[in-house]
Formats: sequence, C-alpha cells, structure tokens
Amino acid sequence: MYLAKITRRVVAVEKHPAYNGRAVYVVQPVLPDGTVDGNEWVAVDYVNAGIGDTVVCGGAPGVAKTVFDIERAPIRTLIMAIVETIDYHDLETPAQ
Amino acid sequence: MKLGCVVGVVWASRKVKELEGCRMYIVQPVSSDGAYTDMPLVVADPRGLAAPGDTVVFVTSTDATQAFDSGYAPVNASIVELVDEVS
Repeated sequence: MYLAKITRRVVAVEKHPAYNGRAVYVVQPVLPDGTVDGNEWVAVDYVNAGIGDTVVCGGAPGVAKTVFDIERAPIRTLIMAIVETIDYHDLETPAQ
Repeated sequence: MKLGCVVGVVWASRKVKELEGCRMYIVQPVSSDGAYTDMPLVVADPRGLAAPGDTVVFVTSTDATQAFDSGYAPVNASIVELVDEVS
C-alpha cells in the first residue's frame, strides 16, 4: 500500500461492468512529507474519498472481487483509507 | 490501473484461443496532463471499448485476466474504461 493524493476524477461512459456506479480517481503517490513520488495511478474508491484527500491506495489480486462481492473484478488499485494525520520522523534527521 | 493513450493496433496471424475476437493495442501510458510516462505496452481489449487515438484506463497484472468473461486469459494488461474526460 502507498500514500497518495487524489488529484482528478476519471469520467467514462463505456466501461467494464465492474466499474458501473463506482468513482474512479487519478491518484498521485506522495511521500509522508507530501512530496510527489513517481507516476500517477488510477484507483477505484471504496471509502467515499474526494479530490484533494490524502489516501492509502493498494490492493492485491482478487481483493476487489471480495470487497465488492462481484464475480469478475478487473480492479487492481483501491482507495482503502482516508488519511487524517501521519506521525512521521525522517530517520536520517534526528527527532527534535 | 493507469491512464493510457491507444497509439497502435497489433494484428496477429495466430493467437491462443482465449484471445480470439479480442483486439490488442499498443498503449502509451500517460499522465492526466497527457504527458508520456512509461514505455508503451501491448494491452488486450476484451470488451471492444477502444479505438486508436482514445484515452483509456487499463489494468495490469493478474487482475487483467478478470476483464475477460471467462476470468481466464493469458494477458497481463486489459482495457477496462474508455475515458471521456479527466476532470
């Protein structure tokens, strides 16, 4: 799983039926201090998150099938949690 | 899943039977601004959603097989959404 910030929403009419009625967002992976880290991913929302939220994204094969209780789920990345705060100390700089 | 732009079509003279009737496209991964991000890859389109020039969402790894009704196909990338707009 990784931290990411929701930046945009993907709007599509033609899609796999597993995506019907689900919010799909573009997420930008970030480091704990908020700096951008790597390329964007597309993720399906599972926790009613919104644009601008910092979230936890991830998934494993077959997880989407279980959580949405559908037969076929070609979904790799789920938004699994909305982050409120992060307790984080950079290990290279001693804590104050 | 990632955003991609369909930049080409792959025509095959022979395919495994699971991929019969399923088009394969060359997809260039892009950011939401349209900038190229990664190397292009071959992506299956089991539901016939896309055409060259379209922006799509594609799923990779094991979950790509789930885009097929059978739930089984020897692929590791499948198109799952035809993108109208990234807002």
